[in-house]
Amino acid sequence: MTEMELSTTKAAKKTRAERLSTIRQIWPWFFLVLMVIVFAIISKTKNNVTFISYRSVQGILVYATQILLIGLAETIIIISGNGGVDLSVHYTLGIAAVISAFIMRAMYAANLPPALTIAAGFSGGILFTIIPGWVNGTLVAKVKVPPFISTLGMGYVMYGVALLISRGQAISDQPNYLGQIGNGNLLYYWPKHGFSWLKIPAAATQADLQHIIPLVPNVVAITLVVTILIWFILAKTQFGQHIYAIGGNIQASIRSGIPVASTLTRAYTLAAVLAGIAGVIWTSRFTSGASNAGEPTLLFAIAAVVIGGTSMFGGEGRVIGTVIGALIIATIQYGLVVLGQQPYWQYVTVGVVVIIAVIVDQLGRKMEHS
Amino acid sequence: MKKSQVSMEPLLRAVNLTKRFGGLVAVENVSFDVRPGEVIGLVGDNGAGKSTFIKMISGVYQPDDGEIYFDGKKVSFIDPRDARDLGIETIYQDLALAENLDVGSNIFLGREMKKRFISEKLSRIIISSAFALPLAALLAWLGLQFYKIPGLVLGLLFGLASGFVLGWLFGSVTQIVDRKTMMGESTKALKRLDIEIPSLTQQVRNLSGGQRQSVAIARSIYWNAKVMIMDEPTAALGVSEQRKVLSLVRTLADHGVPVIIISHNMQDVFAVADRIVILRRGRKVGEEVSAETTPDKIVSLMVGAETVHKMGVIPQALESNGGVAGA
Ligand SMILES: Nc1ncnc2c1ncn2[C@@H]1O[C@H](COP(=O)(O)OP(=O)(O)O)[C@@H](O)[C@H]1O
Ligand SMILES: [Mg+2]
Repeated sequence: MTEMELSTTKAAKKTRAERLSTIRQIWPWFFLVLMVIVFAIISKTKNNVTFISYRSVQGILVYATQILLIGLAETIIIISGNGGVDLSVHYTLGIAAVISAFIMRAMYAANLPPALTIAAGFSGGILFTIIPGWVNGTLVAKVKVPPFISTLGMGYVMYGVALLISRGQAISDQPNYLGQIGNGNLLYYWPKHGFSWLKIPAAATQADLQHIIPLVPNVVAITLVVTILIWFILAKTQFGQHIYAIGGNIQASIRSGIPVASTLTRAYTLAAVLAGIAGVIWTSRFTSGASNAGEPTLLFAIAAVVIGGTSMFGGEGRVIGTVIGALIIATIQYGLVVLGQQPYWQYVTVGVVVIIAVIVDQLGRKMEHS
Repeated sequence: MKKSQVSMEPLLRAVNLTKRFGGLVAVENVSFDVRPGEVIGLVGDNGAGKSTFIKMISGVYQPDDGEIYFDGKKVSFIDPRDARDLGIETIYQDLALAENLDVGSNIFLGREMKKRFISEKLSRIIISSAFALPLAALLAWLGLQFYKIPGLVLGLLFGLASGFVLGWLFGSVTQIVDRKTMMGESTKALKRLDIEIPSLTQQVRNLSGGQRQSVAIARSIYWNAKVMIMDEPTAALGVSEQRKVLSLVRTLADHGVPVIIISHNMQDVFAVADRIVILRRGRKVGEEVSAETTPDKIVSLMVGAETVHKMGVIPQALESNGGVAGA
């Protein structure tokens, strides 16, 4: 075969497989755009509200943070395959929220410095999640308990412990600077006056406030950094490569010397830590910690992962897919609020999108193998 | 095509290997030598003990009796990894490939090339301390506020411990897979063996059976296989694919890597093997130089000459496997 022939067959072989996987990867973007257009038209004609605005984008992004963080945790676990799914992350989120709120309430009551209060609360909440994550990973990788059983059990344990710590109630009495972190912005723009980092400019009066444009909510910035880190780990590092390999063929991975047990343990621990980050974000947004903080998020997060094209059979999936899945769900939630619709519609809509995602995925696979 | 330069020193020697499963003797006192550059066909009827035999020399089973010598030294394998460490590679039926990964990733599966700007150990130490020191300081201070000196000590310990756990979790983020170099090396490895695969970036699941077989073989060779063992490598392949795998077997031998190939197919065996070892009911009943024998003779050894004479025909099981077609 000459160079020419070789390169043309290469191109021909690639286009077919690639075209199919491109369709699978791109349809959610079209779907998102379509949904935004539909919401824009309905809100304009029905409520005379402009949907496509800077405020909406920000609102959607903030809505998306929780689903995305938990979705990233599920992405890692689902890619690792072998029946991998983590049914404990929402309760891990809850216990992280409770523990961080518990620490910060105590420190605030003791009049300790704000920066240290925040640091201790956040790191306490996040570090605690290492325990359930590590136990999950060990149960799955070493004891070989099926993931959905071990994580289901661990989830209930976490929920129970969180209820005990919080005595079944939300832990409020939080310092007000906590809310400023959770609901504040990285940057504020005051036309004619310039930018201001982290705080609304001190010179601004009550009347000026409506002119100040908040840029990049803190929680969105944190989530973005975490998302990039997880993308990097999965797409670029050897640890990520091993997660894909284990999800693709665990026997082959064992035979070829991949440290399967330790990789899986780290994967489950990483997932729990992501839930912990989501937990302290929750505490800072709502200035309280509750054991059921993550309850509605779990299934939405799994839905986001599925919409994003990650295979439930393991070995395949991308962070960007989960990002778009989370954005779609957040847009649905936010859009229904803007339209003044009953929020219950979100379940119907998300359900339909998930079913579309699965159908597209199946069709793509069938065509690829035919 | 056949008859490569076969040197006289055996690379691998199996001496009187025996394996029993309960009362059943699956392999009994089987011995043979493997010299560099030769292809050995291992034949026998179903249940003759071929698979059991190669599992002993690849470390899957431990022999109940007998010895294995590699490069003149006596060896014993606790598990397949011991055999692989010496360079005894087995191509399994299911090939041990991760179908979701591309060709390059499979050739380097578990031994990925990394962009080296920092070692994993050093990276772990740095990242652990980056977490541990501030956490220890914070928690020690916090402990001191609430519980005086015991609080300080506890806080310090907790801080250090969680820092090191985070180091364990994130310490390897600096270990970046070098896909470009892996791809380049894979291309070279495949080229050396004259293997043609249209695109190395596509998932292995999109490749044909023969191509997958070739990837598995290329991987073994890349990682310095000294002896290659294949159990029915052509069983699941189409005719043209079979031919490609067989020519790959010859290429391996020409590179000096001896191959032990199990096959039911007489044509295959005669096409590639320099020597043919025949097993029957767990025993070695013959060893023939393939240029000096005939498929008829091999088949009669396989089933037992007296059987052929008694029945006057060759049993159907062999016929359907192409045993007669080669005759
Ligand atoms: N793990 C095992 N346990 C019990 N019996 C076995 C096992 N493996 C093989 N055997 C028996 O040993 C004999 C030889 O089998 P095998 O080596 O697979 O033959 P071949 O590969 O030549 O067809 C057969 O009778 C088979 O049933
Ligand atoms: Mg067999």
